[in-house]
Amino acid sequence: MLVFVTRRLVVSFFILLASTALTFFLVAYSGNPLQDLLELRGPQRDAKVAARTQSLHLDQPVWIRYLLWLQDVGRCLSPFGGPCTLGSDRNGGAVLPQLQTAIGSTLRLVVVATILALILGVVTGIVTALRQYSTFDYGVTFVAFLCFSLPVFWISTLLKQYVAIDLNTWLNNPTMTTAGLVILGVVVGALWALVIGGDRRRVLIVFATAALATISVMYVLLVTDFFREPYFGILGIAVFGVAAAVGWSALFAGLHRRGRSVLISAVTTAVAGAVIALLLRTVIAEGDWLVILLVTLGLIAVGLLAGYLLGRPTQRLAMRVSALTGVTVALLVVVDQLLRAYPALFQATGGRPIKTTGSATPNLEVDFWATQLDSLMYLILPTLALMLASFALYTRYTRASMLDVMGQDYVRTARAKGLNNRTVVVRHAFRNALIPLATLMAFDFAAIFSGAIVTETVFGWSGMGKLFTTSLSNIDPNPVRAFFLVSATAIVLFNMLADIAYAYLDPRIRLA
Amino acid sequence: MMAQDIENEPERIPPDNVPSTELEMATFVGIDNELAETGMGPPVGSAPMAAKTEFRIVAKRFFRHKAARAGLIVLALIILLAFSSIGFGPIPGWWKYDYTEFEPTLTDGGAPTLSIFPPAWGDHPFGQSNEGRDYFALTMRGLQQSLIIAFIVGIVSTIVGTVIGAVSGYFRGRIESVLMRFTDVMITIPLLAIAAVIAGQIGGSGIVGLGVLLGLVTWTSLARIVRGEFLSLREKEFVDAARSVGASSRRIIFRHILPNTVGVITVSATLAISGAILLETALSFLNFGVKSPDISLGLLLQQYRQAMDVRPYLFWWPGVFIVLISLSVNFIGDGLRDAFDPRQTRAKA
Amino acid sequence: MTVGNVFDPVFETVRSGEPILKVRGLGVDFSVDGSWVMASEDVEFDINPGEVLAVVGESGSGKSVSAMSILGLLPQNARVSGSATLLGRELIGVREPMLRAVRGKEIGLIFQEPMTALNPVLTVGFQINEMLLSHFDMTPDESRRRVIELMKLVDLPDPEKRFDLYPHQLSGGQRQRVMIAMALACDPVLLIADEPTTALDVTVQAEILDLLRDLHHRLDSAILLITHDMGVVADLADRVVVMQNGHIVETGPAQELFTYPQNAYTQDLLAAVPHLGSEIADAATPDGRDDRPTDWALEVVDLVLEYPGRGRVPPFRAVDGVSFKVPQGEILGLVGESGSGKSTIGRAVASLLPITAGSIKIAGRDIKGLSQRDLMPMRRKVAIVFQDPASSLNPRMTIGESIGEPLFLHEKLRKGALAGRVEKLLDSVRLRRDYRYRYPHELSGGQRQRVGIARALSLGPDLLVADEPTSALDVSVQAHVLELFKDLQEQYGFACLFISHDLAVVEILAKQIAVLHRGQLAEIGSRERILRDPQDPYTRRLLAAAPVPDPAEQAIRREGRRALLAAGADPDDDVATA
Repeated sequence: MLVFVTRRLVVSFFILLASTALTFFLVAYSGNPLQDLLELRGPQRDAKVAARTQSLHLDQPVWIRYLLWLQDVGRCLSPFGGPCTLGSDRNGGAVLPQLQTAIGSTLRLVVVATILALILGVVTGIVTALRQYSTFDYGVTFVAFLCFSLPVFWISTLLKQYVAIDLNTWLNNPTMTTAGLVILGVVVGALWALVIGGDRRRVLIVFATAALATISVMYVLLVTDFFREPYFGILGIAVFGVAAAVGWSALFAGLHRRGRSVLISAVTTAVAGAVIALLLRTVIAEGDWLVILLVTLGLIAVGLLAGYLLGRPTQRLAMRVSALTGVTVALLVVVDQLLRAYPALFQATGGRPIKTTGSATPNLEVDFWATQLDSLMYLILPTLALMLASFALYTRYTRASMLDVMGQDYVRTARAKGLNNRTVVVRHAFRNALIPLATLMAFDFAAIFSGAIVTETVFGWSGMGKLFTTSLSNIDPNPVRAFFLVSATAIVLFNMLADIAYAYLDPRIRLA
Repeated sequence: MMAQDIENEPERIPPDNVPSTELEMATFVGIDNELAETGMGPPVGSAPMAAKTEFRIVAKRFFRHKAARAGLIVLALIILLAFSSIGFGPIPGWWKYDYTEFEPTLTDGGAPTLSIFPPAWGDHPFGQSNEGRDYFALTMRGLQQSLIIAFIVGIVSTIVGTVIGAVSGYFRGRIESVLMRFTDVMITIPLLAIAAVIAGQIGGSGIVGLGVLLGLVTWTSLARIVRGEFLSLREKEFVDAARSVGASSRRIIFRHILPNTVGVITVSATLAISGAILLETALSFLNFGVKSPDISLGLLLQQYRQAMDVRPYLFWWPGVFIVLISLSVNFIGDGLRDAFDPRQTRAKA
Repeated sequence: MTVGNVFDPVFETVRSGEPILKVRGLGVDFSVDGSWVMASEDVEFDINPGEVLAVVGESGSGKSVSAMSILGLLPQNARVSGSATLLGRELIGVREPMLRAVRGKEIGLIFQEPMTALNPVLTVGFQINEMLLSHFDMTPDESRRRVIELMKLVDLPDPEKRFDLYPHQLSGGQRQRVMIAMALACDPVLLIADEPTTALDVTVQAEILDLLRDLHHRLDSAILLITHDMGVVADLADRVVVMQNGHIVETGPAQELFTYPQNAYTQDLLAAVPHLGSEIADAATPDGRDDRPTDWALEVVDLVLEYPGRGRVPPFRAVDGVSFKVPQGEILGLVGESGSGKSTIGRAVASLLPITAGSIKIAGRDIKGLSQRDLMPMRRKVAIVFQDPASSLNPRMTIGESIGEPLFLHEKLRKGALAGRVEKLLDSVRLRRDYRYRYPHELSGGQRQRVGIARALSLGPDLLVADEPTSALDVSVQAHVLELFKDLQEQYGFACLFISHDLAVVEILAKQIAVLHRGQLAEIGSRERILRDPQDPYTRRLLAAAPVPDPAEQAIRREGRRALLAAGADPDDDVATA
């Protein structure tokens, strides 16, 4: 395995080198950086031309410029490099500082969009494969096709215009008429009924339960003024945590006798997690990234311990499921804190929580959680716009892969062994279905970068995309190259992760 | 990707003796003739008849696919509308306005005159642009440009991708390694960005040039697919049979392998077209594609983005058309895929 | 160890002499493109305790489908009718939970292709283990011990180590043993084996059959054996059911069926199966080798064939120093198992592979290192017939075009002349002339093979390379094609390199036989001498392992094989790659 990783690293390095070379040359021939200066009149002109030629090395042949640039990049990467600038933009300023501010927001956007698209896409793909040819399947297929066909810039603007404004208005005064409640319940109930499927009796039961549940939950939320001061507190964490524990156990271990020990250890983890959250609540409330990390790791440790102690006879499975529950509880704690910060943020930002322009509120004087919530608010719409096409892709691909796997001989063998449906799907089919996905992830990540350029333009983010478009319009080569460098590095790293995941999933690669 | 290459590499090993079980045959859902695969004698009910050509079989399957049918009709209608309404080149259209005419004062603030009750077109069904041009004409013009570019991109990328994929898949060796490394490098470059860099320069020199250039940037995924097909087909025994008789590589590629890849190539080309539309409109939106004074749907959307508050219809129309075209082409592609690959066909229980 | 489970169906004991499985009126239909197609109908048989019932048939007979329907393992578009009772419990049409309790626990299943039937991402030990854990209440330690026990039971060497290996790290025979271990894990009363040895080499097949027989005696489970191979039936079965086109045509005890088949189809089927030793029964052994300095159609001298390495994969030497000669007009049978290099030699002779070392002379001329242009006239002299009827013809070309391609390329014939020759060729392979307008998918497997033969004969070659031409065909079709082949060879007088893994098939056609083992020539000689008096230990093992379609004779051969193996020859290595 180590050999595999090292080999990939070396190959990736060379690919990166080739990629930067290619883009460097293409950018060099994409326009004359001196163009605007050449149109000037006046005594300053020659001096300016000379200055820019000097700083951009325009008097050297292109390949020398590449080597110089490469040298500068090397200086940036090595700790003993000395000052590095990643080249200078056309006004003589260093590129690197501009990059540093831009990278953060863009990477945030790209990573969150990828993760969301991946998780949602895979889950939907699997469910549609299991429910092949059902109404739900057809519905999702149509939605997927629609998402493929939507131009990112168009949907972004529409989201900005309609969702943001209308939602903001509603959040200012969250009420709902009885008719609205009923409609909401009916819609949600119908969706659940479609997903679960089955015969008429089951469909009706699911519909009724889901509709009633939605209506009552919504009613309670409105009555308790949840949309103005949201939180769910320790009680909420405990309740949802236990629900998650039950859910994960049901999925991976089954709820019958064999899976009981897993269930017990997972529920214990959830409860312990809630208790820990209660005990540490002041520390958490102050919060920063380190605290979050420690809490998460701590809860994972609690999960592993619970699985180890309580998980006999299926210790390893119990440990894994409990650790997963621990992570879920940590997530719940974070969400709770973020929700609590909402009122403060609401006030500080003038009553328009969902943002449409920019990536962060300037001059925000609030605590850690509120700042994070603020970034999150800015992130919602652009991420949504960006992930739609990827979501559609992952859904279709996972569905096709899952269908293929379900038709394989070893799934038939698993059935012939008398295993129940859940085990067959989760233990036998699922992992094999994921294997081809690794290659898809490679292609898709680059596409997300393309989409990010557009989304940043529409939502006014000062990220890499903006850097790219402005510099390209101004015929300013070095920032453009910096964009390609960063995106290529991110993509290469991501591909390596995907390949490693691939090797992990498929022993035929690992142990050829 | 190296890991994927390992997976795709078929080895030349003497085949094991494995007849397919009848279970596989019984579940093979496809055209009725394939049930004759019992190995016992002539097909059931055979009278001397002319062979049904592959094309007719595929066409029949394609038209059974409802969404594909719908897509084909919608696309045809849109193309017809775009090119006939305001005319193209020397041929005049039937719409009263041209996209270059101005009206100095906007009628009714430039609002659309299209109404449902009572159904009427009105003077400016899509409204008017800020400078008083008829928006319907503008949209049609933008449609024409985008359609032309998309088809050119589709054709160019298909040709380039097929040639390179075929050569690398068939001859393997160094050409193939170069292609695979090159594709690996191309994966690391966001398509929109590199298209912007290349195309930004020639925006003025016409849409054909733009189309060709974009085609030259988008062929890599098609090449990979074609390579995969060639890799698997060249291991088939009928290729060996042709080689053993002394058929030249050229004959094998063109007469034997290529006709068997038509299905895959057609589907990929169709999907390339829909991708091209989205790429070109995005480029134009960012001002790197089609540039003023020429018109593209993307350009229109960029120009009227700010007007969303006051005159949202200016933003809706071009977008809706982009979605319709892309959706139709995608459905057609899906229908073609089902038509060429019967294993995907649904078994009606 | 067998602890009761909440889902255990209550069943009567096995000892009462009642049939374990009673199948009555079983029928399976498939929905294809909107209409129902019958796969099997009115199937009826009993399986008694401790007996082996073989269900035999060719493709399309419905044998696999009927067996799978008993456990409800058919795809969504299938419809099952009739009844199958296991010890009094009805299995057809019951709900899933009931079936799940039976699957694996009461009825174990062994599939044909062990590579695809085992999950590639889970270890083999885990997969056997899961069988135990899902049906019984055991601690992980207990179940692991039981798994090791099972692996020892099926003669897997080094079970502790093998437990943690993945399927791709085991050889074909070992994987099949894992499947058998899995099927037996819960001590089922009935074992259903669906073509368990079809994908295996002959020597490995003999071992697996030994294993099955052994286990069957020891564990007293009944076996439902589904196969198309009459030799396997003769080796293993107590009673036989013969199916054709979805119906049962005959049932009876094995020996009776083989000696006095009642039904016409059974008679034809048995007549069509090549019986090892039957052709040479009356022939005398020719003495010595006839090294006449005649024209040799094919001379292979010290041939070495290597597949070049790719990247980190080292080059693979498929053929290592093989020499043999084929006189004009004679047939040499090239026999070997998978990995022996026989197909590689065939391809090299047809100039499809480059020669690494040594020489191949066709009609006196060495083809090593010849340029493509010089090779062209040689290509007229050698033609090759391929194994797989599904892929040996271009699906986009009509039959006429496929057959006519060599004529088109070499003799530059067009239109009328070409059509005439094509029609004559179709006549010679006994196909209708209007078939030349058809496409391959409109023909059956046997017909396509005949087309392949016609194509090979189109230029009147001196040497025909036949690479397992009938291995992918049903037995009765194979008999016709072999007969045709024999007639054509007599008529046209071409020499032939007949490659096969099946000694009985080779016996029908060949005058000389060469046996290959792992890229080297184990033995070569006249047909009679090789089959009657093999010298090389591998040849002896190969011969001993091949089953014959006669239970009594097969029993004798089994003893002979046992003696041979006990006398010290190592069983054919079944080593893992790890």
